[in-house]
Amino acid sequence: MSTGRDVFIVANSTDELGGVTGWMHRMAHLLQEQGHRVHTVGVHAAELTMALPEDPGYPVTALYPAHPPTPWTPKGVRDRLRIPARRREAARVARKRQAVERLSEIFRAARPGGVVIVTQVWAMEWVGEADTDGLTVIGMSHESYDYSRASHRYRWIKNHYAGLERWLVLTEEDADTWAGDGMNNVGFMPNALASLPPVPSPRTGRSVASIGRLTDQKGIDMLLDAWALVAPERPDWTLDVYGAGEDEAALRAQCTGLGLDGSVRWGGRTDDVPGALARSSVFVQSSRGEGFPLALMEAMASGVPCAAFDCAPGVREIVRDGQDGLLAPAGDIGALADRLLRLTGNPRMRDAMGDRARTGVQRFSEAEIVRRWEELFALLER
Amino acid sequence: MNTPDVSCVITPGPGGATALRASVGSVLGQSLRAVEALVVLAPDTDDAVRAAAGALTEGAPERVRVLTTETPGGFAAVRRNAGLSTARGTYVLVLGDGERLQRHACRTLWETGERTRADLVAGGWTRLTGDGAKEQEPPWQHALFPRSRVVSRLTDASELVVRDALVTGFCLRREAVERHGLRYDEDLEHSEIPFGPRAASAVRRIALVRRRIVSERAPADPGRDLAGLVEAHRRVCHLLEAQGLTGLLEERERAFLLDRLVALVRTFPTLPAAERERLAATAARVLPESVPEPVLLTLPPVERVGVRLLERGDADGVLTAAYALRRRGTVAAPLVQGRDGRVRWQGGDEDPALDVTELGHQHRAFGELRLMNRLTRYEADGGRVLLEGRLVLPDHTGPGPAPTARLEFRVRDGARTFGFPVDELRRDATGISWRARADLSRVLRPLGTRDTLWDARMVVEDGRVRSVSDLFAAHDLVGPGDRSPARPRLGRAAGDTWQPYVTLKDHLALRLEARHRPARTTRRLVHYATHFRPARRARLLLRALGRRRDRLRSRGLKVSVYHSWFLRLPVRRGTVVFESHMGTCYGDSPRAVHEEVRRRGLPLRCVWSYDGSREGFPAGERLVRRWSWRYLWTLARAEYWVDNQGFPQHLRKPTGTTYLQTWHGSAYKRMGFDERRVRMQNAPQRERLQQAVHRFDHFLVRSEHDVRTLARAYRLPERTLLRTGYPRNDVLFAARTRDEAEGRLPRGPLAERLGLDDHRQVVLYAPTFRGGPGRRKRRRLLLDAARFAERFGDRYTLLVRAHYLEAASLPVCPPGTVVDVSGHHDTGELLALADVLITDYSSIMFDYALLDRPIVLFAPDLDTYAAERGSYFDLREKAPGPVTATEDELFAVLDSLKAVDTGFRAARAAFAEEFGGYDRGDAARAVVDTVFARHLSRTTRTGEDRR
Repeated sequence: MSTGRDVFIVANSTDELGGVTGWMHRMAHLLQEQGHRVHTVGVHAAELTMALPEDPGYPVTALYPAHPPTPWTPKGVRDRLRIPARRREAARVARKRQAVERLSEIFRAARPGGVVIVTQVWAMEWVGEADTDGLTVIGMSHESYDYSRASHRYRWIKNHYAGLERWLVLTEEDADTWAGDGMNNVGFMPNALASLPPVPSPRTGRSVASIGRLTDQKGIDMLLDAWALVAPERPDWTLDVYGAGEDEAALRAQCTGLGLDGSVRWGGRTDDVPGALARSSVFVQSSRGEGFPLALMEAMASGVPCAAFDCAPGVREIVRDGQDGLLAPAGDIGALADRLLRLTGNPRMRDAMGDRARTGVQRFSEAEIVRRWEELFALLER
Repeated sequence: MNTPDVSCVITPGPGGATALRASVGSVLGQSLRAVEALVVLAPDTDDAVRAAAGALTEGAPERVRVLTTETPGGFAAVRRNAGLSTARGTYVLVLGDGERLQRHACRTLWETGERTRADLVAGGWTRLTGDGAKEQEPPWQHALFPRSRVVSRLTDASELVVRDALVTGFCLRREAVERHGLRYDEDLEHSEIPFGPRAASAVRRIALVRRRIVSERAPADPGRDLAGLVEAHRRVCHLLEAQGLTGLLEERERAFLLDRLVALVRTFPTLPAAERERLAATAARVLPESVPEPVLLTLPPVERVGVRLLERGDADGVLTAAYALRRRGTVAAPLVQGRDGRVRWQGGDEDPALDVTELGHQHRAFGELRLMNRLTRYEADGGRVLLEGRLVLPDHTGPGPAPTARLEFRVRDGARTFGFPVDELRRDATGISWRARADLSRVLRPLGTRDTLWDARMVVEDGRVRSVSDLFAAHDLVGPGDRSPARPRLGRAAGDTWQPYVTLKDHLALRLEARHRPARTTRRLVHYATHFRPARRARLLLRALGRRRDRLRSRGLKVSVYHSWFLRLPVRRGTVVFESHMGTCYGDSPRAVHEEVRRRGLPLRCVWSYDGSREGFPAGERLVRRWSWRYLWTLARAEYWVDNQGFPQHLRKPTGTTYLQTWHGSAYKRMGFDERRVRMQNAPQRERLQQAVHRFDHFLVRSEHDVRTLARAYRLPERTLLRTGYPRNDVLFAARTRDEAEGRLPRGPLAERLGLDDHRQVVLYAPTFRGGPGRRKRRRLLLDAARFAERFGDRYTLLVRAHYLEAASLPVCPPGTVVDVSGHHDTGELLALADVLITDYSSIMFDYALLDRPIVLFAPDLDTYAAERGSYFDLREKAPGPVTATEDELFAVLDSLKAVDTGFRAARAAFAEEFGGYDRGDAARAVVDTVFARHLSRTTRTGEDRR
């Protein structure tokens, strides 16, 4: 069905450790398989890198060897007279012009029908200035409306994406909210579920799993508070917290303070997510903010039912409350504890929900998502 | 081009060639390329439009087709149907005159249609406002598109047929158009009104997409072809009836009255007299069968009156009703009180539609009422003008026997007035007719610059009260023929003519104009001097300087100066800053502490912070405005901060300063870090809150419940807790003691001031805060005060106290039945005054329980409130009085209060003990002894020998 287009995927960085970069390479691989000619471009190469295959099979270009300097605007009279700063700024501008020129070179090599996918709005600073004649530019935002609204990216999105043919958020609800905010060119495209483990979790281990970085955004502190309400009722269950991060020490201290040392196990960072899920019967997510959480999808793919805070449209989209998981109002610890009690106390419900989750989450399978991308390419050409 | 994806049918209308070019241009500018524009012309279309259409086809022959129907004349429906028959696209979309498609409209519609397999895809649209300068959405549109969705039953998206939502901004699958034989009604001008609902009920799936599709729809003109409009509405009603959708039918009837007929009534003052007569005559002909009585009676009173008078064809009455609609709260027509006590609009003998009792005008007297004063004649003969008019009087009140009146002209946005007496006043049963003559040129002497607009009004006095009324006039009453010469003080060069005109708010005003030589030359010179380039520069500079000045006053700068400079200042010993509820009042515990300090004569320098107005704060005290430079200076140097809610979060406490946080109530709903909203905040935000809370050195608690809830929720260390109870509650103990010793009567000076008499019991209604962060809003109360007054007016007086962050909007009730006490600074006094308390979740119940008087909880939304905000305990289980969920239950309890209350004595005592165990009536003394210990001299150290 595919005609083989030139597809350029532009991200902030080529190899930074993070969800979007991972998404870029996975997507590049899939589109390559569809017969497209993919070229991934990062604004810069990162210091903290993720493991990439030696030969990805498609070109990877970084416009800068390291993070480019941020623009400088003089504040006050004294600042205006600062010669070195002015020279640095001039150098930055010149360097940016070169980078834009390089990007234009890459784009010019495309045949008609080419597509540029800008995965993060920051990269539009370069793509917007580059020569994209004859190409369709598709913007993306990998976070919920509320999360963007609270950050400077809201303005960037409004400035850079308003003139595009189409830009994408993760869920229809987010798209509606953005459209209500005056962005009529917004569409939506969920993230894809990477793989379906051949065997679902047996759901026999008396363990509740949480997988995620130990940072404030993931809300592990609230999870511990909720577990403090669950643990006395379920003395034979344990909470397994996988992940590492800056808040680890504080969280462990909180755990000890709550007297949960006996029932909480710290699993550290794990590369074997399906293995961890196979050992547990319930998955819990207590994040303060999410986009389209992969961890939730992986758990459901393993047939593990989830209890989660309803913190973003992406979560509501993945988990259909009461059918293949249980949602609690965001921040309501009592409610989250209640959902955990319900899931841990009722093996029949756990099994039913887990099975439904494994089937349901396949609507985000890679094949399905690639099909939707192809449809989008065709739509933009009509 | 093969089959286009979308065909857009465009039929030129009154907008002519410009509108046609705009519409076709928007189609050609679509991001979806496979879109065709199908322009359908009548054989008698004028040449300019025909030429424009020709040019458009030539520009894009592939994408613009022009079609001419065979029959000349007829309504647009004929050409639309021709377009529908000729269209080739997968979807068809019909654009009205001058309407434009948004750039991505067709792509959105097509994609949604393909994805959802819906036959009808509808999105939002906007129309131009009356003056054509702005665009606005119809107000109900937001409710129709909360989310993009697919519906298969009309009841799931009732606005589609209830409002005229499907007049534009939607597309139909062409195959469905053919299958269902959908066509516009060729005998109607408003053919788009029945077409949309008919299509919606024919197709099985409707996709609603939350995107704007069409803009610049022509402004609503409710007077255009009224008969046709009513007929179109009837056809939709028949359709709904045939489908058996009676619920929607009723909603549709009501929406039609409000959206179309009331809108028509509102336009009356701006129409010429002949047009008003014509419309009223048409209305009298077509409306009588089309306004169902039961639906009419559900409308609010003034709207109802307007529609009824329109239906009767009473042009002058409609005009009067329009004034009442455009100026809410004005008595526009004589009111007649019948023998049954109901108040009716003039001429409404037994007609329930003209019953306006619920407006409450009958409870107000002459002087309090806003009366309509209608100008009926304005004649100018040179400088001499003759004005005639009529002031409306309701039959229950009026001025005394020998009223006098003055006509005044008052400068816009100023206080200067010129006036002259009204010569003739003739009072009759329903009003006062008056006539005034004056030499306008002589009486009205403006300076001539910056005071060119003067509003007219009349003041009627009878020696005791005065009543001021604007002079209303229809917009065609005065015109260019009514000019008078003007004599400004700056001379004829400043202006030479008075031009009377009727403002947008429908009252008479005079404008100083320059019509002759010297004045026009001066105006031109002045205009040049203020608009040539250096002047523009100067204005820009001034504006920039203004911005600089604003920056100097901004909070950001203040906070940074506070931290970097003010905090280095030495602490001024013995200074105390008091603040209550962020400066909004002089009350609560800080006031009680302050009064205790004063009573004991402590050598402290007390400063109160106020926000907005100084009213209610003691005159002799030092006051600083919240967020002023002096406020920050004082805070930075104070030795003590005393507050019940929180000094600005961003301000660090100076070292060496002691912060007494008295807090403002025990908690029912979850607070601080127990609140869901706070928990979900990110780390820096939570850290900021924690820092702000860690400023507290003393925190007052009333019971162990506070320790378990508030202290834990804000993570307060044990050493900060003072188990003294709240100083504000000391007065309650005093009141209780007095009660037991001498009874509750007489009630004291406050009762006298509020006009409470001794034979009615006092009920205080104090609901809690329901909003989130943000500006203070006026809200409707959950309790219907008017119903309360009607039922209990002779037994109870209702005091209403809204939360200090909100304001209540109260209906007009008979005098002495409902009193708004939201502005009263000291809640303690109100509590001591009240015989019964009605509340929901307000912390006021914990305090009032100390008085051991009846409490009734009125909580219609208890379960949702508790689920949304979270609560610390089950209110039903521990309630200090009956918990009622509906107004009827509440009234039943109030009816037999004594009997009900005896059953709750024990529960109330337990409640008071559990939540106010540390309150013993000596909190202020104990707090002062602890916090200000250093300043207690031997003479003032009275608290010591207590323990």
